[in-house]
Amino acid sequence: MPAVKVTTKTRRAPGTKREPKTPAVDSARIAVIGIPASGKTTYFRFLSGHFGLNLPILYIPARADGGQLPLFGDLENDVALEETTYETTDPTDPEGSLETTTRFYVNRPMEDRRKLWVELSAGRDEQGVLTKYPLPTKFNQFVEMKLRFRYGAPGGEGSKPLELNTIDEAGGIIADYFTYDRLWVESADGEVSEKSCRVIPHFDSWRPDRRDLWRRGLTLLGRFVFGADAVILLLSPALPSLRDQAQQVNLARGVFRYAKSHDTPLVIAISKADKLKEFYSEVEQTVRDRSFRSAFDPVDFLLRRDGAGMGTILVAQEGQGISVKDDVFLVSSAVSTGEGHPLFIGEGGQEAPSVGAQTMGVPVMVNTTLPLARACERILARRATKGG
Amino acid sequence: MLLLDLSKSMLAPLPDATPGQPERQKIEVARTAVFRILQDAAASGSLFGLVTFTETVRVAVPLTEIHRENLPYIENLISLLTPSGRSAIWDALAVGADLLRMGTQGVQGNLVLVTDGWDNASTRFDVQVPGGPAIAPGRIDLVPYMLPASSRVSLKIIGIGNGVEKDKGVDSVRMNYLISQMGVRAGQSGLPAIFSFQEVTTGSQLFAQMVNAFLDVGYEDDRPIEELHPEELARHAANAAKALKEPQQHATVSRINSAQLAAKSGPEAAYTETPDIEVDVVTTTGGTTPAYLKERYGPLGEVVEAYMNGQPELALSRLATAAPVLPPVTRLYWEARIQYSNRSVVEAARSLLQAWAEAEKLPPATQPKILRRLALLQARMQNDRETETLVRFIDDTEHRLGSTDPATRERLMELFGKLMELRGTYQLTRLAGSGDLQDAAQKHEEAVDHVFGLLQDARLELSANGPAVEGALDFIEICLAEMR
Repeated sequence: MPAVKVTTKTRRAPGTKREPKTPAVDSARIAVIGIPASGKTTYFRFLSGHFGLNLPILYIPARADGGQLPLFGDLENDVALEETTYETTDPTDPEGSLETTTRFYVNRPMEDRRKLWVELSAGRDEQGVLTKYPLPTKFNQFVEMKLRFRYGAPGGEGSKPLELNTIDEAGGIIADYFTYDRLWVESADGEVSEKSCRVIPHFDSWRPDRRDLWRRGLTLLGRFVFGADAVILLLSPALPSLRDQAQQVNLARGVFRYAKSHDTPLVIAISKADKLKEFYSEVEQTVRDRSFRSAFDPVDFLLRRDGAGMGTILVAQEGQGISVKDDVFLVSSAVSTGEGHPLFIGEGGQEAPSVGAQTMGVPVMVNTTLPLARACERILARRATKGG
Repeated sequence: MLLLDLSKSMLAPLPDATPGQPERQKIEVARTAVFRILQDAAASGSLFGLVTFTETVRVAVPLTEIHRENLPYIENLISLLTPSGRSAIWDALAVGADLLRMGTQGVQGNLVLVTDGWDNASTRFDVQVPGGPAIAPGRIDLVPYMLPASSRVSLKIIGIGNGVEKDKGVDSVRMNYLISQMGVRAGQSGLPAIFSFQEVTTGSQLFAQMVNAFLDVGYEDDRPIEELHPEELARHAANAAKALKEPQQHATVSRINSAQLAAKSGPEAAYTETPDIEVDVVTTTGGTTPAYLKERYGPLGEVVEAYMNGQPELALSRLATAAPVLPPVTRLYWEARIQYSNRSVVEAARSLLQAWAEAEKLPPATQPKILRRLALLQARMQNDRETETLVRFIDDTEHRLGSTDPATRERLMELFGKLMELRGTYQLTRLAGSGDLQDAAQKHEEAVDHVFGLLQDARLELSANGPAVEGALDFIEICLAEMR
């Protein structure tokens, strides 16, 4: 894995340094959707790692055919990740106070590897705070990310550069947007009205500043996903709260409606698959054996054993914009074993002790890139057939 | 609008149907019935007015919305009503009609006249009897006055005593003639004819005619929906969804079908001679018997009192005595409930079965409410917690929506109806063979999406209607998620 240095930069003073050149690439606008705490932020962070930010991540392909995934980091480019944070500092300011901060993560030799798998959020490094896990996105924050990677066969000519453009947010704004089709905007400059926000349960009882923030957030997201090239829906299994489960099912139905009505490729990622014991024990075995093979059948698991309680819904969607066999993946960012204990596999494949001296382990990322690879595959296939 | 006779004869005693029970004055029985009607008006937010008459007609309570906080003052006023003098029945009916007069729309509303005598004091209005003297000059014919064009008025006359002989009871000849005259005029003018005359001879009958009640008592472990934590609400909704998803295990639900849930009430309902039964559910705290059961609910109140005091045998004997004045469904329901509490399961089941049959004959306005009370008892008897949760939620919601406008209530009940219809498409996803599984699942998902669309529209249009409406919509939304 090439050494890469991550630097963060916020609000560069004018004229002090050249802004990294934006590479000329095909861009794919992909919306990653999930209920709050479904793992969207973690998913983005680990993807960033995969594409060259050099998180020491063990990646296990799940395809039984052993074929190599056509996704890899675009290290030729100066900028691997561009992250713009939109933050409302004072939501009550009528003039609007959306403050933007852009950080560029660039390819540089790595000085201290241990620092690199800490949280990528800007400022943490400077404060000397090292965290193991990605920080949650703040409630009043949207983070737009542009990930640069390559798709195709490895090695220069065989692949093409792509840019994944996506937005991360917190608090379920994106989940609300997709759940309730009465909110959908149908133009790139459409506006979600205050009135249509009332479709969100108890919206009228919220504080005015939160209502306004939400409406603006919905508008921002609505414009962003308008004309999205693909949607990745993250579903979290084994949600303890019945309300969360209900929210997730209603969101899934909303996303299916959206994908069908907008003819948008949809890929489903069952995130936090480490919560599913059966799945995880197999992954663990694969890690130990270093077999890099998995015979695990996500479709069988989802439909016959109802991993995320979505069997009937998925069956209903077969052929309606998704194929259960090809477009549904179990993924895990594996920050824990599901019991709250961090799971670290040492370089030798052994499980790190949860007590005693701190061990530098390797967070296991399983299948995380598969949904993105499939989304890219569908986007490019679509462009090819449409001559785009 | 209640027109209550306060002539001196109302002080006379009225025998009770229960042997050994002391006789009560007619006015006393009438007062307790008015208390009960008032309480119901306060709970449902409906309008109520009271006109009393002797030789003078007085508007005791103008037609108004009764609020709970005003109830003590109005009840105090009613307790002070003291009979004296004669009866100006026709003048009182005219005043009652005037209070319901809506300009060019004529007279709009419901009139209930309670009287025990003959008109002997009216000065302005009269009723023409065939073969009798013509209406005196200067008097107005009551019938056209009460039924101008475009009117929609109902009149129910409750006559106390057998009045074939003058001064021994209600003037049944004139009352019957008034009713028939009004029917003829309504027919000629193309107006609805909603008029009835009923004689009563005992205190219980008088009460039952004024208050045709189905009284129920909440179960000990009932908790108001608004007290539930959101996660508890979700658990309730998930439980309720099980009742919809597994009809074989929850047969009771099929009795409360969607058509009944969506049954429209109000002025559009077809008229029926069977009076609407008012459904009341008394809630208890800490096993205490609510006060004034007897006063407010007459003979049925006495039955419930004995039941709540843990005296099932006494309750059953009181029920048998009160049977003639109780609606059959009320009697059979209480028979079942008391027998069940007395561990006589077979007898309870038999009575409940008969109650279901009786409930089928009820007018559409009250039928759904009573069916749900029966369903709750059946679910208890079968230890079917899922059905119980579903029915309780629908029932509670409707009750809590009592003070909201009928359109909102109807809208939500319609949504509940649609939710229950999903049982059908869901079942197909379970029964279908492997070949048509996808087709069944697709149809079910389309049906769920349709209801979800209706739910969103309801949220957009009903959002400012308070926590009861929000709670109902949340419940439906969670139930929809569970139908997967």
